[in-house]
Amino acid sequence: MSTAQTLRKLLESGIHQIGELEIQTNACSSRYAICHTADVELSRQPEFGGLAAHHGPSAARDLSTYAADGTYRFTKGQVNLVRGWVMLLHTEEDLRLALDQFYPACVGLFIAHQHGTLEIETLRDKLNRQTGMYKFARSISDAGAQELVQKVCGPAHQCAKRILWQIDPQTPLADSEASRYRGIIGEVPESAAIPLLCREACNHFVAECRQAAKAEFQAQSTAET
Amino acid sequence: MSIAPKPHSALLIVGHGSTENPDSSTPYFDHADEIRQRGLFAEVHCCFWKEEPSLREAFYLIDSDEVYVVPDFISEGYFTQEVIPRELQLSGPTTKIRGKTFHYCLPVGVHRSMTDLILKRAKEIAPGVDPATTTLIITGHGTGLNQNSTKAIRDQVELILASEAGYAAVLDTYMEEQPFIAEWDKMSLTPNVVVVPFFISDGLHSFQDIPVLLGIDSEIGAAASQRQVFRANPHQLRGKSLYYSSAIGTERLLADVILDQISDFDQLNKSL
Repeated sequence: MSTAQTLRKLLESGIHQIGELEIQTNACSSRYAICHTADVELSRQPEFGGLAAHHGPSAARDLSTYAADGTYRFTKGQVNLVRGWVMLLHTEEDLRLALDQFYPACVGLFIAHQHGTLEIETLRDKLNRQTGMYKFARSISDAGAQELVQKVCGPAHQCAKRILWQIDPQTPLADSEASRYRGIIGEVPESAAIPLLCREACNHFVAECRQAAKAEFQAQSTAET
Repeated sequence: MSIAPKPHSALLIVGHGSTENPDSSTPYFDHADEIRQRGLFAEVHCCFWKEEPSLREAFYLIDSDEVYVVPDFISEGYFTQEVIPRELQLSGPTTKIRGKTFHYCLPVGVHRSMTDLILKRAKEIAPGVDPATTTLIITGHGTGLNQNSTKAIRDQVELILASEAGYAAVLDTYMEEQPFIAEWDKMSLTPNVVVVPFFISDGLHSFQDIPVLLGIDSEIGAAASQRQVFRANPHQLRGKSLYYSSAIGTERLLADVILDQISDFDQLNKSL
């Protein structure tokens, strides 16, 4: 079964949310409609309550690239998705294309996770594969990495993804709001949402690891002199 | 070159991406859209080294059993020879991974059909300007670390010189190695100079660094999306008329080069 077909089954089973998106079926004059979860009521009003209507998935990249203040959303798990629009989609394939722009690969990651075939990477594996100036990130201590998770990840720091990775095979993440987060925004039950899954540390986290590793190195050098 | 439809195959376009510049990945998505609209593949996806989805997440995007991987990179080098194969776990031109067959094509920038795109872009930005009075400069990054990064540009220079384009001179220049783009006026003997950046996207280099090196800007400006994308050509600078193009990769027809690389791959590998 294709990803789009599986997505249709998921929606039929009652799933209607992914990240900050509400997915409506057979509403708004098309088979599928997606909008910001905060705009659902407007989308059901005549003329979509003034929301800008986009037909087809082509606007998804622009809508997902910039926050309302114009800043670049360099990780798509950020909880600052722009409001004020509704996207009308006629097929599961188009819905899937749109969702892959808003939340890249997240439908496929969820399906693989459900089937037990999702390969998860530890932080050490990710850092050890970095190149160029990011190579230095691998020297971060375990304690430094644990601290960073609490400083960088989770909804308190603008990311709505559920972290699946560990520091290394023997070292799980320390308990925190970020490590406990389930990847679903709001009070929606797990049966009604596709969680955003983080199978590997993102490039933003890698960049933060590099900064923290440099600070650790600096502090150690200072202590030795 | 035309390509037969592959209704049971996926196309995976691989780009670099950026956590800082939103323009960096725009061309990759444009190329994917262009090919998707032609209905040649069952599915078309993008993945990135520095953006989402990552190369390793790409596996979870794909339904098809056969996948063509095309690096939307300008040259062969560290990324196309080491990073992409490692991240996608490719061991050769064709690799079986978890039940899927991956075909690894050459990067777009090394294909001979890039020549037509460069000439098309050069004509577009300098309409009506006689090539006989014009120096065409193709400029890239250049790095002492990898000879391949400049080879693609030098090859294009040779191909254009051998063509009937009729430019008075065709030169390769670089940001960080000789011959330097900053000295464009000294190496150009003609009144008109056309500069085409040999990059995929209008990122930091083509729209922020090179304009400063050319003398168009006095300091590094905002990202391309936050300013006028096509600058007012020609710029009267250093006694010459300078025509500056956006990055060659922003040409939507680069999608054809992606398809050319797939066609070449099939001819070379599937006939064996």
